[in-house]
Amino acid sequence: MKKHIARNYLEATARQRIKDFLDPDSFREICPPTEGFSSPHLHYFAIPLAFDDGVVIGEGLLGGFSVALVAQEGRFMGGAIGEVHSAKIVGLLRRCLKTRPQAMIFLFDSGGVRLQEANAGEIGVAEIIRGILDVRAAGIPVFGVIGGSCGAFGGAGIISGCCDVLVVSEEGRIGVSGPEVIETNMGVEVFDARDRALVWRTYGGKNRFLQSQVQELVENSVAEFRAAVLRRLPCSSDYSLEALELEQQELARRAARFAGSRDAIEVWRKLGFTDAEQIPSLTAGELKKLREAK
Amino acid sequence: MKAQEVLSRIFPEGFEIQSGGAIFHGTGKTSSGKVAVIGTEGHPVLGISVLLQLSEVMLQVLRETPRRPILLLVDNDGQKMALEDELLGLNQYIAHLVMVQDLARRKGHPVIALVYGNSCAGGFIGFGLCAGHTYALPDSNTSVMILPAIARVTKLPLEYLEELSKTVAVFAPGVQNFERTGGVESVWDGDLNQCLEQALQKDQSADQRAELGAQRGGRPLSATVINRILNA
Repeated sequence: MKKHIARNYLEATARQRIKDFLDPDSFREICPPTEGFSSPHLHYFAIPLAFDDGVVIGEGLLGGFSVALVAQEGRFMGGAIGEVHSAKIVGLLRRCLKTRPQAMIFLFDSGGVRLQEANAGEIGVAEIIRGILDVRAAGIPVFGVIGGSCGAFGGAGIISGCCDVLVVSEEGRIGVSGPEVIETNMGVEVFDARDRALVWRTYGGKNRFLQSQVQELVENSVAEFRAAVLRRLPCSSDYSLEALELEQQELARRAARFAGSRDAIEVWRKLGFTDAEQIPSLTAGELKKLREAK
Repeated sequence: MKAQEVLSRIFPEGFEIQSGGAIFHGTGKTSSGKVAVIGTEGHPVLGISVLLQLSEVMLQVLRETPRRPILLLVDNDGQKMALEDELLGLNQYIAHLVMVQDLARRKGHPVIALVYGNSCAGGFIGFGLCAGHTYALPDSNTSVMILPAIARVTKLPLEYLEELSKTVAVFAPGVQNFERTGGVESVWDGDLNQCLEQALQKDQSADQRAELGAQRGGRPLSATVINRILNA
């Protein structure tokens, strides 16, 4: 008998993630590497090309539900968003308006805009956001999944904030400016990027989950990510003025309540977790139980 | 150019503006009616507090004056780089402001962004690039990262990048480069009131930036790839 081993999400490639995330043999890739759409700009910088430009897109089934799926490949230039990379995502999002899948799933793994194609990447981020909101306005829910080694930073972090539901592991970091960027620009006294524990507490999935920025916290396995999305299907997107008014209140409340906090442990204590120092060593399951008990 | 001077040139028939800190808001008169104005000045960095103020003012326009056009006057030095803001989820605050702009457009408010000062990186995405259409003044600055920083990251000589940026629009800062890549619809010059009147007439229902980037030569492949996928 073949022994089933849960695949480690963090260490898997984009294609391995897709394989275990979707129903067996259901994925059909669009614009696969054989079609050869790679970056028309990287040769100026003497950087080798990837024939998928660091992102895999296509359609498949998740528990029998039809889905469109994007998976960024963090191993190619940190999943950075360039011209072709963003155009593939935008194309799939626009295609959703024709094919009307039951969900759109975005597996993030990106440090943000690709500096060698900065303007194309920056505009690409804006086009992706508009595409996501078109899909949501059509009622199709958009799921963001974050658990790769590059997390979702810069423009990718902003895109993640436009999804309906985020499913994240502790290892899945979310932010705009990463620790190295803040340290380089603002000085080591503002942010010591070598303090890895501080980095995880600030950007990691647990902090995002405890502040209700993400809806699901899971362990680092593809099967857990899949199950968390599947539990919520079928559903529809709520992209309305009422929802944004509520979000405005929630974000204003968070800003006021935690104003001046310099460490996630202070924030967690204010949230009522008396043993806040213990949180980094808990499993996702233990932390969820602790939060439910509150 | 200062915000006051830009406002005077855009609204010769008059405007009423309240200022508070880095942001200002109010209304301006045009021949086709009142336009809501929301802007920043003194190129602030966009942190949680400024972002919340901008989204609140914009939500008020959605609540109280349905379908009124909204002009965003853009001047920022990017997103705030601070541990405190990242700790509370700065990305979500930027995304929220973006969604408010996007929903305004869907609800019939034409949303027009004019970069009159600086706009950089996460600040440009949050306030500028996610309007219905994005315009810029000739002496404004749009960028993701300045060339010396790109040289450091890419480990290429600055002189090489400066030379390359003369012919390739895709990476170097500058309004002309964002225009060639389709991110900036056009550069407003001359009669700014006429520029706004024309912008107000434009249909904002489709995102045509990839086609513009292809026509203008700055983004050669985007439109082709998008269409290939649509018809796959």
